[in-house]
Order: sequence, then structure tokens, then C-alpha cells
Amino acid sequence: MSNVITDALCPFCGCMCDDITVVVENNKIIEAKHACKIGAAKIMGHHRIKAPMMRKDKNADFKEVSYDEAINEAARMLANSKRPLMYGWASVLCEVHKKGILLAEELGAIIDNTATVCHGPSTLAVHEKGLPTSTLGQIKNRADVVVFWGSNPVHAHPRHMGRYSVFAKGFFSEKGRRGRKIIVVDVRKTETAGMADEYIQVQQGSDYLVISALRAILAGQAAVVPDTVGGVPKEQLVKLVDTLKAARFGAIFFGMGLTQSMSRYKNIDNAISLTTELNSFGKHVIMPMRGHYNVTGFGQVCAWETGYATAVDFARGAPYYNPGETAANDVLTRKETDAAMIIAGDAGAHFPANSVRHLAKIPVVQIDPYWNPTTEVANVVIPVAICGVEVEGTAYRMDGVSLRYRKMIEPTHPTDLEILEKITKRVIEIRGE
Amino acid sequence: MQTVAIKPKNGIKISAEAENISPDKFAGKSEKDIQSLEAWMGNQKTTLGELFTIKAEGTGAVADVKVVMEGDFSRVKRIGEGMTAGLVMIKGNVDMHLGAKMSGGKISVSGNVDSWAGREMKGGELIIEGNAGYYLGAGYRGETCGMRGGKITVLGSALDFLGEHMCGGEIIVKGNAGILAGLSNNGGKIVIEGSTSRPGSEMAKGTIIVGKVDEMMPVFKLEGTEAVDGVSYRKYTGDVIVNGKGVLYVKE
Amino acid sequence: MELLIKNGAVFDPANGIAGDKTDISIKDGKIVDKVSSGAIVIDAGGRLVMPGGVDAHSHIAGAKVNVGRIMRPEDTRAGIKPRTKITRPYTGYTVPNVYAMGYRYAQMGYTTVFEAAQAIMKARHTHEELEEIPIIDKGALTLFGSNWPTMDYVREKNMDKLAAYVAWGLLASRGFGIKVVNPGGGEMWGFGKNVTGLDDVVPNFEVTPRDIIVSLMKVNEMLGLPHSVHLHCNNLGKPGNYKTTLASMELAKQVKPSKDRQVLHVTHVTFNCWGGTNWGDFESKADEIANYLNNSENVTTDMGQLIFGSATTMTADGPVQYANAKLLHAKWANGDVELEDASGVVPIFYVKQVSIHAIMWAMGLELALLTKDPYKVLLTTDHPNGGPFVNYPEVIALLMSNKKRQEEIKTLHEAVHKRTKIPGIERELGFNDIAIMTRAGSAKVLGLLDTKGHLGVGADADVSIYDIKPDQTDPSAEHAKIKSAFQSAAYTIKGGNVVVKDGQITATPMGRTFWVDASVPDEQKEIMMKDIRMKFKNYYSINLANYMVQDAYLTHPYVVRAGVIPVEVS
Ligand code: SF4
Ligand SMILES: [Zn+2]
Repeated sequence: MSNVITDALCPFCGCMCDDITVVVENNKIIEAKHACKIGAAKIMGHHRIKAPMMRKDKNADFKEVSYDEAINEAARMLANSKRPLMYGWASVLCEVHKKGILLAEELGAIIDNTATVCHGPSTLAVHEKGLPTSTLGQIKNRADVVVFWGSNPVHAHPRHMGRYSVFAKGFFSEKGRRGRKIIVVDVRKTETAGMADEYIQVQQGSDYLVISALRAILAGQAAVVPDTVGGVPKEQLVKLVDTLKAARFGAIFFGMGLTQSMSRYKNIDNAISLTTELNSFGKHVIMPMRGHYNVTGFGQVCAWETGYATAVDFARGAPYYNPGETAANDVLTRKETDAAMIIAGDAGAHFPANSVRHLAKIPVVQIDPYWNPTTEVANVVIPVAICGVEVEGTAYRMDGVSLRYRKMIEPTHPTDLEILEKITKRVIEIRGE
Repeated sequence: MQTVAIKPKNGIKISAEAENISPDKFAGKSEKDIQSLEAWMGNQKTTLGELFTIKAEGTGAVADVKVVMEGDFSRVKRIGEGMTAGLVMIKGNVDMHLGAKMSGGKISVSGNVDSWAGREMKGGELIIEGNAGYYLGAGYRGETCGMRGGKITVLGSALDFLGEHMCGGEIIVKGNAGILAGLSNNGGKIVIEGSTSRPGSEMAKGTIIVGKVDEMMPVFKLEGTEAVDGVSYRKYTGDVIVNGKGVLYVKE
Repeated sequence: MELLIKNGAVFDPANGIAGDKTDISIKDGKIVDKVSSGAIVIDAGGRLVMPGGVDAHSHIAGAKVNVGRIMRPEDTRAGIKPRTKITRPYTGYTVPNVYAMGYRYAQMGYTTVFEAAQAIMKARHTHEELEEIPIIDKGALTLFGSNWPTMDYVREKNMDKLAAYVAWGLLASRGFGIKVVNPGGGEMWGFGKNVTGLDDVVPNFEVTPRDIIVSLMKVNEMLGLPHSVHLHCNNLGKPGNYKTTLASMELAKQVKPSKDRQVLHVTHVTFNCWGGTNWGDFESKADEIANYLNNSENVTTDMGQLIFGSATTMTADGPVQYANAKLLHAKWANGDVELEDASGVVPIFYVKQVSIHAIMWAMGLELALLTKDPYKVLLTTDHPNGGPFVNYPEVIALLMSNKKRQEEIKTLHEAVHKRTKIPGIERELGFNDIAIMTRAGSAKVLGLLDTKGHLGVGADADVSIYDIKPDQTDPSAEHAKIKSAFQSAAYTIKGGNVVVKDGQITATPMGRTFWVDASVPDEQKEIMMKDIRMKFKNYYSINLANYMVQDAYLTHPYVVRAGVIPVEVS
């Protein structure tokens, strides 16, 4: 039996392309039209964890167990913990986030998402400066100057340029690419830099200085700016400011090149101020290039449920927030965490060695459709259905627009939602006992 | 006069939150009452008495309370939070948020302190003989003012974002400081006798005096040289971006 | 379940009851004639009983509210309460989390609240939050004032298409009514510009704010929507804007209402009754607005009362927010939505000794006290623009007590004497006036007076009981008592359930979401949809098939039906 689903959403990157046509045969996806390569690969799926698995000794092999057994053990581990951590949440839908936050409340846990290793710093900058931004369609219809700063869409967000930022044509931008000036600022000449109108090479770790120099020039204080800043000649900076000032609608897309380099969130903080100040001349917006499709969604759900966007500590029953103290890595490097649930995020692959070593020593539950480096440090592994492919629900695009994912095929595993609900129920039972 | 002596009982692995260790909370209380004050360890509610050996002698008003702490408190947060008077003497290291929001009294630490010591401090004195972590005398996330008053002295070094959003008060670091010291300074005085990098970004008011700057922000106007206490400094004003009236002195 | 409230001093203005000892019978979530002897009895003991509070303008859910939370952790930490067996944690003061939003309203005796602005494209987000707000009934107004289809149809003078677009937009956003914010300005803000008055032409669309307001009022009445057009005027935030406000109110004369209510609701007047030409000669012209209201029948307003202390300004008026951020050197969030509208969020702290703030404080009160008919001025703080909604009791006390006002005036910047009329206003409102401004009036303005804002048979069983005995209380002298009673209801009954007792949450049933399903003839809709499909093909960054809010986001919907009816246009 063949079935075609149109207007499907791709559950891979923060672009959340919603024009995918999926062809399904016998509950198997055989084609994902319009999706880029990395998106199609995600939609088509790959080797899955078949059944729940457990082991006491992390050096031993896993034994397949029933879902009930795995859920029971997961609940026991978490309920007995004095400093539980629930981490991940990037590749699941908002409905799952809500259940996760409820469980975190119940446990007195810290809940944190993968933003902590990519765009978390952006949130810290938003606390300082706000965020002048817009939806992506605003950029598609209006932008005449687009800056990619420490971001490389060719590689990480393949359809971004076509759909929204570079080639896209719109109401005031009917010429598409020809009507736009594309500028790349990066420490190395990326693929995106290769196709830009202008490439500005910044010395490793000097973004903050360069942004401040741009702001000083914009403020009419070019005289105090030295001849080169962060490896960029002053003339080039002055020219960039002139280009930005002349823009009718400018957009800055920043990536991990900016959030994860020296000065980290202060780079973003500074770039936000630059954007704000540019609004005295033309219209300017700034946007993080979020990686996983729903990393934005976790921040949204967490904010409306707890008041804070991420890294929330429920230890004392009320939400407490202070990244640097309450983020996943903070408590892992201090070896405070005594049990962890890793769901839809790979701590094993992305955390510093110190944190992973600690994870290897404490009870770890993993909830994920796929085997990944986190599995290597897990005691209990619970495979689930794939959100956005086998489960419908909500996610937030990098610009904060929420969309509803369609179910493409029937799941072969229980959903994250079902698993979290059962764990929560069991935790309440254990705590009551 | 009231003296309260505190020692940790066992090694604390999961940070304890002990904002009740404060002259304000102890004043006029018996040893037993002090022991039964609330504390938290992870998600477990406990008491100061469970975590620490506490001996109290005498009684007195807040200003007459002396808290003497000895041992490893490197996993004890929020000591002296919001204190208004009295004395806290710590022989050992302490965890985050030491003396946060304090408005009076004095805290001295013989060892190191973790991040956010003196956060949003309004008055009083904090003396750290060892090193300080990040955000010394800074604010809470999103808040426009960090330290507003009082004095912090660090004999060792401090990490990044020292004195962020300071609106008043004074921080003196004998050693070095991490990057972006005095960020968004809005009226505080910061002295770093050793080196720092990128100081004074976005400063609107206040003074920063440093021994050596590894990397200058490109946003300061050189005003010439000036002697401060007999030592010659290059004097800068800025941050020009925010039309700042801050003054940055860098030793020649 | 049956409930009988006995011995209450009932204020139910819609039914002409003003303090009479009347029993209220409740069955299956509705007010009924009488109940059986098995009914649970609540003895009000002579205390004040009112219908559940209704708020017609508050920012409780959606993209900009959440931006406020994300950018203001310093606010979130201000209102923290840990979870209990019944309640989830409370956080925030100006931007509370979803739970605190529902709990705090209920604790004040409010049972129905309307979010004042959502862009269609971001409506899904609004509904995600509304679904999480406990207890209260709610709904959201939908922005239409700068939408490209709106401006196209206004230019073409095609009211049929505009009506079809509004009806479809309400369905797409599951919205309750037409919100217009700085009409035309949202589009111009797309390039960092703004309109400066009713007759500026929006480039590329060739329409004026005047055309947009009038056309939307017309289709509002063509569609017979329960609520009227809800307008945030042009030039908000600029000294001298009261003239624009009066001129906008004048426009209401061009359209006849299709129902027993206004044709135009002008919101948060505190922000648009400004006299003067700059910050130096800034003064209140609230008296002029009140004067207009006293001589017209088809316009209503709400106060947008300023509350000293922390606030978070949030509005679809993008340009005003950028101006604010620059003026205050404050952090600034902006959130333009393609083809639809703009938005901005900026924190602010209102200070008693700042002349402008002191004058603004007076404006809301002047408006309410100088306007004779309380049905024309609803009590709001434009939460959280003027201040958080938890301060309604403060506003009530100010309105009921000249003594309190005079005490307050003593602490304010002297400009309050020279630039406002408030020091000389002696009027003190009574419980009946308050019941109108917070219940009957809001329900009437929203077009929901059939089931909300009153205690007659057939109404929703939403009731609040306050710990005041009206016949033994002098609100003027005992204003502190008034304030504390309204802060913490003795009982709040929502849909027949006791949700608050002695100020504490006792149950957290899920409220409903109100939205309007307005029908237009199929052919009319089809013609309009051709244009919409074109807009999606060329301009939107998402597909039409993914645009509309799905049923999944309204688990407890309450649909109000409306649709094209003939309308007389004078
Ligand atoms: S750009 Fe991103 S969302 Fe679009 S198809 Fe590729 S991976 Fe999927
Ligand atoms: Zn409003």
C-alpha cells in the first residue's frame, strides 16, 4: 500500500522545512522529496534500538528486558537520586518537553537541554540585551544585506539560503540573490564564505573585539579604533559599517563559531547591541542558527512552564536558574549529579571528557530511538518512536514560529510521552511507598 | 556577644544550600535553634545541625554575632546571604554566592571562593585571601545592577566578568582577573593590581585601575598619562559606544 | 453538583442587583433558579458577592509574553512559590509562568481573561500557552491591522473579501476578535519606519490607518462578531497623541453596531491620552477623552492603569518599543511577523518621582473618574504594560477612595498637580461601579454578556466572594481593607467548582478557550482564498497547509458563532 504525505515537516535542523513530500509504502518511508540530504537521511531513518536493555555493570553487555522492567528500574534510579539530571530534549516535540518538566518537578531534578552545548550562550545574551528579530519570511521578503557570522548554512542548514536568506525571492526582494549582499564573518573560509560577496576573516577568539570596533565606528567614534582589530584592517570594518548602515533590511545569522568561541555569550550580547544600534539607520534583525529542529521549542516550553528557558533546578520545589551553576555540565563537572536521564540528546558525544567520565560512574537512563555514545555509559536504555516521523506534535523553528509535525508512519515503539508518563507514575508510587 | 562555631560533619559532595548561615539568622538563637535551621542538599531538605557541628555561646544582637567556620566548605553555597551586620570568619574554601546581597557586616575567607561571591552586594565587606571564581561582585542574570555598595578584597586572583554591571562599591584584586572585568560598569571602582584582558567594555561610569592589560577593547579614548598615588598610569575614557564617562587607568 | 450561596451582598449590575441579599443557585456549572435541598451551601455571611471577574485586555499568553520571560530571568525570580500537592510552581511578577497566570487571576476572583494580541502565524504558540493556564476561561484577539491581505482589500475597497479574510483569519488563529495595533505601522516597521497619523499612506499598499480602521469596523459589524474592533491607536507613546486618539474615536460614527455594544474599543488609554508636544510640556488629556466618552455612545475604553514599580511593556507596536528601548537604554526584543505585524518587548520601572510616570499614573484614574458611565471604561493595567494584573485591587482601592488617592499624590512628583486633574477629583466609585468595570462592562464590551459578567439564570456559574461587608465598610476610609479583600477572594467559584477558598487555590479545573467561528458565503471565501494561496506561494515562509491552528491546540474549545449579516453603514 502506497501513501503520499504532502506538506510534511523535516525533523532535522532548525530550518524546519515544511514542504516535504513523503512517500510511504507498507509503513516504510521510501522517499522524502524536497528534503536536503541530511534531512532525508533523518526522515528515512536508520538502524534502531530494537528493545529496552539493562545492565548493572557498565562494562557488561546489555540484556534485553521488557518495557515495564526498564521503566521500573529507570524510575527507581531517579526516585532514589538526591541530585538527578534530565538532559537532552533537542529532537523531541514540545508535548514531550511538558511531560519532562512535570517529571523534573516531581523528582526535584535539574532539567537542561542541548542548548547548553550550542546556543545556550545566546539565551544568556538575551537576558542582557533582548533580541531584535523577526520571522524568516520577513528576511525572505525584505533583506538586502545578510551576514553569516560564525555560521555555515551550506554545511549545517542546507536549505536555509534557498528558502529564507540568500536565494529566496519575496515581495520586496524579487531579484533574490542578485538583490542581496551576502557577507560572511568567520575565522576560516567556510563553504558559505566561498559564495559570499564579502568575506571577513577574524582572528580566532577576537569576535568580541571586532563587534565592539564596529559599534564604535557606527557611533561615530572611528577615531579611537586601532588600525587593525582582531586581524581585520580598520578600512574593512569601516566599509562593513557603511554597508550595514545603507541596508534597508539587514539580517545577522550567527552560529556556534560565535557562541562557542572566546567570550562566548558576550559575543552574542555584543552582536545584539550592534543590531539594536543599526536600527537607528535601517531595519536590522539577528537570529541564532539553531541546530536540532526543536532545540528552540524546549526553550519556549520551559519558559512558559517555569519562567526560565533552560537549566532549571527544581531541587527545592521551586524553579531556580543560574547557568554556570545549574546547567548540565556544571553539575556533572562538579560530580554532583548522582543519576541522570538522557533523552533525545547525546551527552556522550558532546560533553567534555570530565562530564562524560562522571556519567560513566553514575546510574544513567537513556531514552532514544538510536544507539549513540550515550548508550555506552547507560544502565537502562529505552527505545522510543521517532518524534516528527512516527509521532505528531509541535516544534519551534529557529525564528520561534511553531509548526505541527505530521505523523508519517505508524510507530513500532512506544512514544517518549508514554514512557515519561509511566516513569512519572512509577516515581510517585515509589516516593509514596 | 554571641559566637557560633561551625565545622562540616562529613565530606559534602552535593552542594548544600545554607543561606541560613548568617548573623541575621543566628542572632539571639540558642545552639539547638540554630542547629534546626533549614538547609538543603540537592533535593533533600535537612538542617544545619545535620550537616555541621555547631557550637553556640552567648547571645546578642546581629551586630554582635560572630560566626567562626573551620573546615572545607567548598560545597556550601550562599553563606552570609543578605546579612546586614556581624562577622563571619571562614577558615577554608567556600562555594558559590558567598555574601550575596549582603548589606553590612564582614565576611573573611582564608581560602578560595567559588563564583558569584558578593553578588548584588549592597554594603559591608568581603575579604578573600585566596582566589575568587567568576562573576565576583556581579549581578543576577538579566538584572541591570550588580554590586551597589560595600567592598570586596581578593588577595589572590579572580576569574572572568568581575564586577559586571557594578553600580557602586569597590573591588580590589591583588592578583589577576579574567576577561571582561568591569563589563558594563555603571559606577563602581575596580582595582586589579595584576593583569586582565578586555576590561571596561560598555562601561558608562566608574573607574577601573589595572596593572597590565593583555588585550585592550578598541573603544577607549587615550587621554594621556596621570599619576595615581604616585604611580604613572595611561588614562583612558569610554566606552565610547555608550558615550561612557568611565575612566580606565592602565599602569605604564 | 449543586451549590447554594446564601446571605451574600450581591452586586450584579447587569441584572440591576446592587448589594441586595440574594441567594445564588448553581447547578452543573450554570446559574439556575433554584437547587434541591441537597445542594452544598456556602454562607456568604453578608459578604460581597460578584460575578467572576472578566478581563478584556491582558497579555497572558503567546510569543511576546514568552519573549518577556526569556529575556527577564530577573523578573521570573521575583515571584517564586514552590509546588504544592495542588499547584505547580508560581514564578514571575510582570511575566508570570502559565500556572501563576491562572492561579493569581483566580485568587483575585477573576474567571475569564482575554489575551489582547496574537499574530495569526504565531497563534499556535498562544494556544499552547492558553492550554497550560489553569482554571480561567480565556481567548485571544487576533491582529489584522497591518496584514497584507487586510491592506490589499482595504485598498480595493472590497469589504466582502475583507470579511472573508477576517473570518478565515479568526479560524486560522482560533481568535475571538479583531485587534488593530498602530494600523499600517506594523508594515512600515518592516523597514524601520512608522506612520505618524491617521492619514499617512502606507507605501506599496496605498492605504491609510483611517481606511484600515473604518474598513475593519465595517466588516466587524458585517460579520456580527461578538466583540467590536479593539484598537491600539496610532502614535502611542508620543506626546500629543490624544488628538490621534480622539480622531480615531470619531471614526466610530461611520459605522453602526450590529449588536448592543460599542463599535470601537480603544484600549489602554493611559498610553494614548497624552498632551504636550515633548517630554518637557507633557501633560494629561485624559479629561478630553472622558469628555468625548460622555458625549458618545459607540466607543468604549480601558484604563491601562500605571502601577509604580516593575513592568514589562509588550505590544505589537514595534516602532514604539524601539523608541522606548532607546529612551530607557533598556534591553529590547523585537518580533516582526512576515505579512502580518510587528511586536516589541521592553522592561520598564515606573518611578513615583519621575514626572512622566506620575502624570501617567493619574491618566488612568482621571479617565475612570471623569467618565460618567462605568460601562465605558474597563479596569485594566494593560498587563504587564502599565503593571502586572495582580495590582487590580490597588486600582480598585484608588477608584473607591479619594483619601487613598490624596495620600498617594503626596508621594508623587509635583507634576501630578500641574499636569493632571487628579488632585481635584473627588468622585469615589462604589461597589456597583467596580462590578461594572471588572465584570458586567468587560463582558458587555466583549459581547459575552449572555454567559459572563452577571449572575442571572443561564450565566456561567463564575462567582467571587470577598471578605468585605459592604453595609459595614466605608471604602473611602478603609481602603486598605478593600485592597486586601480584592487581593485574595474568600471564594472563587469557576463553572460551579470552588477553585479558591480564603485566597488559596483548592482545585485547578481546566478552563475553556473562546473563539469565534464566523461564516461567510462559500463563493466569497473561495475568491479570497485565491489571493491567500498566492501569498503563501510567493511570500510566506511556510506552507498554507501548516498555517492554521489545529484542533489539537484547543482541548476545551467554546465556539461563538457569527457570520455575514446585512449592516447599515451611515
Ligand atoms: S534544511 Fe534542515 S529542515 Fe530543511 S530539509 Fe534540510 S535538514 Fe531538513
Ligand atoms: Zn495591551
